[in-house]
Amino acid sequence: MPSVTYTQPNGTQQTLQVESGTTLMRAAVNNGVDGIIGECGGQAMCATCHVYVRPEYAQALPDISDDEDEMLDCATAERTDSSRLACQIQLNAELSEIVVDIPVGQL
Amino acid sequence: MTTQAGGCPFHGNAAIIQTTAAPVRGSGGEEPATVSPDAADYPVADWVDVAALATDPYPTYARLRAESPVAWVPQLNKFLVTTYAGCHTVEQDQELFSANVSGATMTRAIGAQPMLRKDDPEHSVDRAPVNPVLRPKSIKEVWGPVFERNAEAYLQKVAELGPEEADLNRDYAAPVASQNLIDLLGLKDVSVEQVRRWSHDFIAGMGNVLDDQSIWDRCDAATAEADRLLEELIPYYRQNPDASMVSAFANSGLPTANVAANVKLTISGGMNEPQHVVTNMVWALSNHGDQREQVLADPALWASVFDEAVRWQSPIGMYPRETTRETVLGGVRIPAGAGVGVVVASANRDAGHFGASAAEFDINRTKRPHLAFGSGVHLCAGHWAAKTSIGQIAVPMAYERFPGLRVDKRRSESWDGWVFRGLTSLPVTWN
Ligand code: FES
Repeated sequence: MPSVTYTQPNGTQQTLQVESGTTLMRAAVNNGVDGIIGECGGQAMCATCHVYVRPEYAQALPDISDDEDEMLDCATAERTDSSRLACQIQLNAELSEIVVDIPVGQL
Repeated sequence: MTTQAGGCPFHGNAAIIQTTAAPVRGSGGEEPATVSPDAADYPVADWVDVAALATDPYPTYARLRAESPVAWVPQLNKFLVTTYAGCHTVEQDQELFSANVSGATMTRAIGAQPMLRKDDPEHSVDRAPVNPVLRPKSIKEVWGPVFERNAEAYLQKVAELGPEEADLNRDYAAPVASQNLIDLLGLKDVSVEQVRRWSHDFIAGMGNVLDDQSIWDRCDAATAEADRLLEELIPYYRQNPDASMVSAFANSGLPTANVAANVKLTISGGMNEPQHVVTNMVWALSNHGDQREQVLADPALWASVFDEAVRWQSPIGMYPRETTRETVLGGVRIPAGAGVGVVVASANRDAGHFGASAAEFDINRTKRPHLAFGSGVHLCAGHWAAKTSIGQIAVPMAYERFPGLRVDKRRSESWDGWVFRGLTSLPVTWN
């Protein structure tokens, strides 16, 4: 099963094994990972699922859509080149492993 | 506090805003499964007094949270879920807790099943077309000036009435909310009064659990009027697309029946709640003078005032779900096919989530997610619109226009409701 590792701002890490097709937001919310709210359920309407993707995984990611781009501008924590919405990234055969950093605030 | 990214039209980003539309008042005519209170192996809160809920629901919510956060309430034919954790769990699992509830009065009221009574994937087909209209950029750039114009127009009317006569609900909150909705939807040749009446009639129908024929008659008449207008507007917008919601729906490829159902849903939910947030904000600041001074000195705090007001006095108090199979929630067994009331107004006062001061209005509290706009796929589609039109425009402009704006204690205010709750009148005065 694909795996995702969430890194909290204080450095603690949590790794989850998830079914192929699961988004990083859904995995976090269903497993009570702190710091990912996912308020809109994955519609790119809230930006409360902002994460920073570690650079070594960047090229395996889908492109940022216009909707995601617009919402990332509204994330509470600073947007950087590694910013993504966790609801727009699915774990699957192409992306079987990823490590992300959770920002300090989503609200 | 981290820095705000540059491109977002919103500053401060405090708000997690509001629900698509109105969840039903009370819900279902014919009720879902038979849930027998005899031999119940779940808590039964038969002490809940529905009339008391409408007067002031918060004492009831506090007792439910303390005694039985998931409880069968026979008078409502539902399990009420009153904690933050319980409500959040229900909202995150649409497979188990379906929005497509049995005998939905909402569907009866507007003559077809709107997105709010569907689960994914059907729900998202209806919802996706309007999301781009309602994202922050379009709201700020296209609709911000419209919302400002509408606020300005009705501030002028309030000024003409003067500080002895003005009622903030009747003279400002209601017409501004109605005109904003007319514009955002792209309705043509309709008056503020007409849309307000439709909204009330649809909501009355959605809450018509006792099957009152006169309510259905009014509701059916409103549905017929709205459908007639949409019969003209849908083809019009197919030829002349613009930035409005009806245009987005009309050009989405959705069947006309879906478009009409969702426009009527928006009319029901897109007016009442923003209206209530206008008056709730002014009422809350009037009763917390120190916080009023704080925001007037630092307008960046309007976002926090808006957000705290919707948490503290949530305009939508409860909405229904239905279990698709037997489950256990908060240690309580709920049978398959049972009605569930997600009491977000109670969740938003849960000390287990917001801390010991949960019952207080405090714009400086540590930000925590709340459920005033729902959460999950049914998160209010209009939440950015509400945040802008009310939180950043209508209310701040009222304070700018009327120094010393406050509740007029010489005249009486009134609150009503629990499924939908707000001020039905709010006399105001100023210096
Ligand atoms: S969950 Fe809302 S934008 Fe990702």
